[in-house]
Amino acid sequence: MTGLGHAVDTLAAWLAGGPPGWFAVTLAVLAVWVAPLLLLVFPVAAFGQILERKIAAAIQRRKGPNSAGLDGPLRLVFRAVLCLLPRERQDRAFAAFCNLVPVRTALLWSRRLGLGQFVADGIKMLGKEDIVPRGADGAVFRFAPYLALVGAFLPWCVLPFAQHLVMLETEVSALFVLATSGLVVVALKMAGWGSGNKWSLLGGMRAVAQLVSYEVPIGLAVGGVVLWCGTMDLHAIVGQQYAPGVFTLLGWNVCQGPFLLLLLLVFFVAGLAECQRSPFDMAEAESELVSGFNTEYSGLRWGMFALAEYTEMLLIGALVATLFLGGYQSPIGEQWLLLLPTWLETLLHALILGAKTLVVFLLMMWIRWTLPRFRVDQVMRLAWLVLVPLALLSLLGIAVTLLVAGGTTEGMAYGRLAARPRPDLSWLPWLLLWIVPVLAAVVLVRAANARYGGRHPALRRLTGEGA
Amino acid sequence: MTVEASTPAGERMTLNMGPHHPATHGVLRIVVESDGEVVARCTPDHGYLHRSIEKIGECVEWPMFVPYTDRIDYVCAMNANLAYCVAVERLLASDPATTVVVPRRAECIRVLVAELNRISSHLIAVGAMAMDVGAYTPFLHGIAQREAVNDIFEKLCGQRLTYNYVTIGGVAFDLHDGAVAEIAAFLDQFEREMQRFNRLVTTNTIFRDRCAGLAVVDAAQAIAWGLVGPNLRGSGVDFDLRRDESYGIYGELDVRVPKGEAFAGRHGRQGDAYDRYVVRLLEIQESVRLCRAVLQLLPPAADKPADPLGGHQAEVSKILRKVPKGAVHVRTEAPRGEMGYWIVSDGGKVPFRVRCRTGSFTAAGMFQHVMRGIFLADVVAVIGSFDVVVPEIDR
Amino acid sequence: MTALSHEQIAAAVRSVCPEVGDQRASNGRPFLHVPAAAVADVARCLRDDPALRFDALMDLTAVDLLQFPYTPPRDDIAVVYLLFSYAHRHKITLEVFAPRQACAVPSVAAVWPAAIYFEREVFDLFGVTFTGHPQLRRILMPDDWQGHPLRKDYLYPADYHGVPHLRDGQSFSTSPPRAEGTS
Repeated sequence: MTGLGHAVDTLAAWLAGGPPGWFAVTLAVLAVWVAPLLLLVFPVAAFGQILERKIAAAIQRRKGPNSAGLDGPLRLVFRAVLCLLPRERQDRAFAAFCNLVPVRTALLWSRRLGLGQFVADGIKMLGKEDIVPRGADGAVFRFAPYLALVGAFLPWCVLPFAQHLVMLETEVSALFVLATSGLVVVALKMAGWGSGNKWSLLGGMRAVAQLVSYEVPIGLAVGGVVLWCGTMDLHAIVGQQYAPGVFTLLGWNVCQGPFLLLLLLVFFVAGLAECQRSPFDMAEAESELVSGFNTEYSGLRWGMFALAEYTEMLLIGALVATLFLGGYQSPIGEQWLLLLPTWLETLLHALILGAKTLVVFLLMMWIRWTLPRFRVDQVMRLAWLVLVPLALLSLLGIAVTLLVAGGTTEGMAYGRLAARPRPDLSWLPWLLLWIVPVLAAVVLVRAANARYGGRHPALRRLTGEGA
Repeated sequence: MTVEASTPAGERMTLNMGPHHPATHGVLRIVVESDGEVVARCTPDHGYLHRSIEKIGECVEWPMFVPYTDRIDYVCAMNANLAYCVAVERLLASDPATTVVVPRRAECIRVLVAELNRISSHLIAVGAMAMDVGAYTPFLHGIAQREAVNDIFEKLCGQRLTYNYVTIGGVAFDLHDGAVAEIAAFLDQFEREMQRFNRLVTTNTIFRDRCAGLAVVDAAQAIAWGLVGPNLRGSGVDFDLRRDESYGIYGELDVRVPKGEAFAGRHGRQGDAYDRYVVRLLEIQESVRLCRAVLQLLPPAADKPADPLGGHQAEVSKILRKVPKGAVHVRTEAPRGEMGYWIVSDGGKVPFRVRCRTGSFTAAGMFQHVMRGIFLADVVAVIGSFDVVVPEIDR
Repeated sequence: MTALSHEQIAAAVRSVCPEVGDQRASNGRPFLHVPAAAVADVARCLRDDPALRFDALMDLTAVDLLQFPYTPPRDDIAVVYLLFSYAHRHKITLEVFAPRQACAVPSVAAVWPAAIYFEREVFDLFGVTFTGHPQLRRILMPDDWQGHPLRKDYLYPADYHGVPHLRDGQSFSTSPPRAEGTS
């Protein structure tokens, strides 16, 4: 148990004033694990929403939120702090504070960037009426958003944020992530069914079909990483990707041959589908199903679905980082970080993980605002006829690599082993490992192009390629 | 692709798509009987936007009907104005005493604004189609260009949507100062912009595969079902009223007519949704070319620059108090295809019957036929590919 | 592709369908009167005859002749068929008179499917019943609407489902104002 586990024990013991009972433990868990998690992820997800709006605006060449600044929230804070003073004194103090040059500049920029927008949106959302349609199955309808949130938040418990910041160390954390994030399917189905609306029902059905299908490539992709690393413990997987020296980047799983790179692609695409992002947003396809499973939701409950979606996006980003991009480790030189005081190291690690997550997050937004949506059958075909075979191929490739390169396969046989040293690849198999599959891929792509390629000349004229 | 519905009729789900639905382009209602995701049968329900325009036509004087034509198709009001005015002028021409000669400059301006409006109308069509398929960004890029056209029209006639600009006998105002340079500059940047647009969405694989082979209408079907305009050409029929039954000065211009050729490649078939979509884009290119050609043809302004008609507006008004008796049918090429006016005059100052046949009406008539067996998600793509504008259906 | 002249078209039509009535030109286009009962057969002939090949129905509409200055006045509804041949690029106009009281014309929906919608519209606005039409119901007006608005003797209803059409002090004239001085 790392620091946090210890903190729970201490707090529980203190609360109970002796050996802790279940109530004290629950309280301690809430205080130490759940509250910080919520406090961390909620604002980040809310901020994700404003980020998305700004990015969408940039892609569509408009301004996006550009008026709501942080002035209002700041004034509220002032009033709360100075609540004993008369109103004019508060206002005067506030005005004086806002006149300070750095504050003024900061507020100006907060307005320009629309940073206050999510506060405004949040308040608006809280103020909306919570409507339950007459034909709805009330209990199911009301409960679904909570379940979605639970499904979106639980996986974070086992995610290693830093070397000393894992809320729940377990040996099967990869499995835990897969299992808990599956809860969202149930929530979407409940929302779709409980709404008593045919569009919602269709959205719910689509969600179930899509999520269940994409669990398979995601599971296979995680399985590939597990196979390579010989462990199901996410923290151990991160540790596996450690490489000494300056180029720690080379130790990351994504650099361990084309099969893992392929797995990264499979995982990312399937991850997009798992959090219902475009081009896989069939379940809420606005132009087809109005809004799919959340058509009938309003106010806070709708907000929970939105929050769950953003949390899931962040989760996929964090998982991509953890499984393939070295987790919380820095890309250039890891050792110097370890020399720092523990708190600083933890902070930097968490920030690095955050940065990697953000990159994936931004990529997802870019894709959403660029691509059209798949059709139902195309989504299914992509899962079963493209992603699953690719994942299986990668699994096979990884297994063969492990055999050839002399890595042990004990991991496969016994489930979880202690993290074993990475297979030692001398240069020849390394070269073969990269070159042969890459060549094969190039040949395949060229053959496909020769057979099917060649756009119609009219299309070339339209895109300005011809002429 | 087409899938046969397998569930017996009693177990199907009836979905009410519209009249308030994000993708039905106004207030179109389609009752869809679906077998899960597959459309087993669909029944369009029209009339939510019926404003009895043909009845109004029998109640107002000849020139007073022009603003109503704006409302028949407000996405391309210039073309709608033009269609009615050309028809009335043809009717006036049946008697040499009442013949109205449109000044050449006005003719050129008419073609110019009609083609600009065709561009902006097609921008809505292709943008909305991309949006129905789930790509939001191209629509906004298209709208930005449409706004530029609207800016030009606003300077020209003070309106951004319903222009009431083309009048019987000419146009309402001459081009404003600097209009030619403005339009030329717009066309230049617009061409580059469209290339970006096309790279963004037209050649996108997901978009292409969504539309390839969808709602295929072959040439014979398209003719029999009365499809017109880009929908007809998308099916491979080489026919354009601007070239084949030219009106105004279209006869002097070299109108090239694009037609569907299974642009989507391997999965595509001639007359599928992708063909209709691409034909519109090619027509945009053509319109740009025609606009440039017209700018070359434009004669210098008349002495009284405010009145390109050279002062015969009053004369036309007098003629329109007694329009020769008879019937006339004139069709013009609007962005949504043939806009045909069947006008009957009893010799008075009010039309006896004004009938406007629009492209969207027959396209909507085809929905029941082409929407059988497609996926629910494609219903909106099909609506988008036929580019129906509801006020044109309901009138 | 050979576009026929007006006389040729009229002659060809007369030879395949002898029941076709008098022919005149209206604004440079042949204009044929067809007896109501024969219209479906005539339509099929016009479409299938290799020299004529009227494969497209440009428009199908109607005119109420109640106040039209005919001598003698007619009390008919004229259904107008505007045909075009994409194969030969020629046109023809057919006109069918249907008496106001028993307004029934055979449907041409089986010949040109485009007529399904056109005939529904004419049925809706003029009350012409097209026999043999697959789904003859109103298209633009609500299903429970009374009367057929484009008939010249149409009376404006005072309300629809209890919702008045006019504000206080407004009034409809029972028929649209006609220009004075029409002969």
